[in-house]
Amino acid sequence: MMQRFAGLVVLIVAVLWLELWPDRAIAFAAPPASEDSIAIIVNQSNAVENLSAAELRKIFLGERSHWPNGRRITLVMLASGQPERKAVLRDIYHMNESEFNNHFIQGLFTGEVFVSPKALANAGEVRKFVFNVPGAIGYLRASDADASVKVVRVDGHLPEDKEYSLRIQARSTK
Amino acid sequence: MQVRTLLPFGVHIAPNLFCITFNKWSFSLLLAMVVNSAAVWAQQSNGADADKQTIQMLLQRIDKLESQVARLNAAVQQTPPAAPASEAQPSPAPSATQPEMESEMQPEAAAVDFSKTLLRIRGFADIDLHGDNRKGNTTSFTLGQLNLFVTSDISEKFKFLSEIVFEAGRDNAFGVDLERYLLLYSHSDYFNLAIGRYHTAIGYYNTAYHHSTWLQTATGRPFLFLFEDQGGILPIHNVGVSASGSIPTGLLGLHYVAEVGNGRASRSPQSEAVQNVVDENNHKAINLALFARPEHARGLQVGFSVYRDLLTPANAPTIGETIFATHAVFVRPTFEWLNEFLVIRHAPMGSRVFDTPGFYTQVSKLFGSYRPYFRYQYVNASNSEPVFPQVGLQQGPSVGVRYNASEFVAFKLQYDYTAFRRQAAVNGLTLQAGFTF
Repeated sequence: MMQRFAGLVVLIVAVLWLELWPDRAIAFAAPPASEDSIAIIVNQSNAVENLSAAELRKIFLGERSHWPNGRRITLVMLASGQPERKAVLRDIYHMNESEFNNHFIQGLFTGEVFVSPKALANAGEVRKFVFNVPGAIGYLRASDADASVKVVRVDGHLPEDKEYSLRIQARSTK
Repeated sequence: MQVRTLLPFGVHIAPNLFCITFNKWSFSLLLAMVVNSAAVWAQQSNGADADKQTIQMLLQRIDKLESQVARLNAAVQQTPPAAPASEAQPSPAPSATQPEMESEMQPEAAAVDFSKTLLRIRGFADIDLHGDNRKGNTTSFTLGQLNLFVTSDISEKFKFLSEIVFEAGRDNAFGVDLERYLLLYSHSDYFNLAIGRYHTAIGYYNTAYHHSTWLQTATGRPFLFLFEDQGGILPIHNVGVSASGSIPTGLLGLHYVAEVGNGRASRSPQSEAVQNVVDENNHKAINLALFARPEHARGLQVGFSVYRDLLTPANAPTIGETIFATHAVFVRPTFEWLNEFLVIRHAPMGSRVFDTPGFYTQVSKLFGSYRPYFRYQYVNASNSEPVFPQVGLQQGPSVGVRYNASEFVAFKLQYDYTAFRRQAAVNGLTLQAGFTF
């Protein structure tokens, strides 16, 4: 019994190592500055100025559900098929549409995700929603952002920075 | 009162001009003026018409805008105040541009509020064809559980969640079970509370898949995590309070679960396994779980749990029940490896202690729409085990393939080989259509 269990543990460690290793090479690589950026926007009343890529991923996955001020996070997504959404699925979720749907079905089912993301048709609606809902976070093309919402830094960078990681075009990979 | 007339060519003439003495000279003079004016008018009439049209258009536009403003004002006044602490309240610290947008946004925001308390229903179901070589069993089409997962956002912090399952037993009669029935309170990422009937956080599988076969890779749960009414050996359901949340440990991603509930029934084997309304004793079952989801290894979860209860069977000594469980799972969209090991310890007063160990391992990988999988499971209970004497030794592999026919429909084919102590092994084949709707 114990031998079986020990063998199983060794096997687990070996496979996990092999599965995890390739991911270490995946990182936010610097894209060409000419590409159009995706701005992460929050309500103007939100005190958050900067989010790390890891924090952003947790928020978008529904693993983090509250802002530091205690207000619940409401995630807004653009409707499927739009290039901004595709870029967010690719760069933040690392998922396709089907995997995204499954993630939230299971998350809601287990109770780990409190509220599913709201899907809105276009950048104007996302901007209006974020403007009006203090706990909202969403994304849009950087050129669609205006003074009604706050653009947060991602890993310390704004969309106009060369080092900014969220772009419509796929990032170059090592 | 003097009224001034605006002539097209911009010359103002007092009306009393027309009251002068009407003689021959004055008539000639007036005629000359009119003829002269007509000539000038003819030259300028085209531009003047355009101005007139522009003014008319602008006036019409003002009328239109005024009526729109009136309609919006009426809508705002008819809109009831937003629900307390709602997510759609206007920002407490408006920006400079906010006042202009606010009147435009309020009806829309209110609409978001109204939908918050609506029930949302998602369904899970499966239909099976199963056959095996166990004596007395027949190959049958089987309706699996029809699970209605009902939720409602009561407010920003409160939510209702339930699983209503329609299921037929071996007598072919359908029954309805309320498998989960929870009021959830989300205070912060570090503290969430659930009261009601929940799935006990023993190990991983029980709280990952609940009553959905569509979410599971295989056709069913491992032996260890079978439901109570299917011969399962764990207190899968519990009624009580469950607190959970993350522990601020940075990259380690530690989470906790602490549960206090009625525990499982033990008075008689015929008792309903879950003590929904009345507890047999005053002792409460306690379960504590701790697990880590390291930030640098997305999909990896490692943890353990300890469950403690006191069982009070009729005409038998009180039994202390302790369940130690540990798990290491790695779940990504295209790859999963689940490993769980647990020991169920039953300690009757004044008697020997019975330990029932069990584990399963399951691995699968997605290739396009196909997901082949393998599971090996093992449980070994003593024949004199006081709580589940009929379980004995069960072990064996299962192999299968899951085919995702569409995003929400999966077909699975699974072969099971199960060996028993002092009994013939059983070979079984199951074809399943699992779906969500």
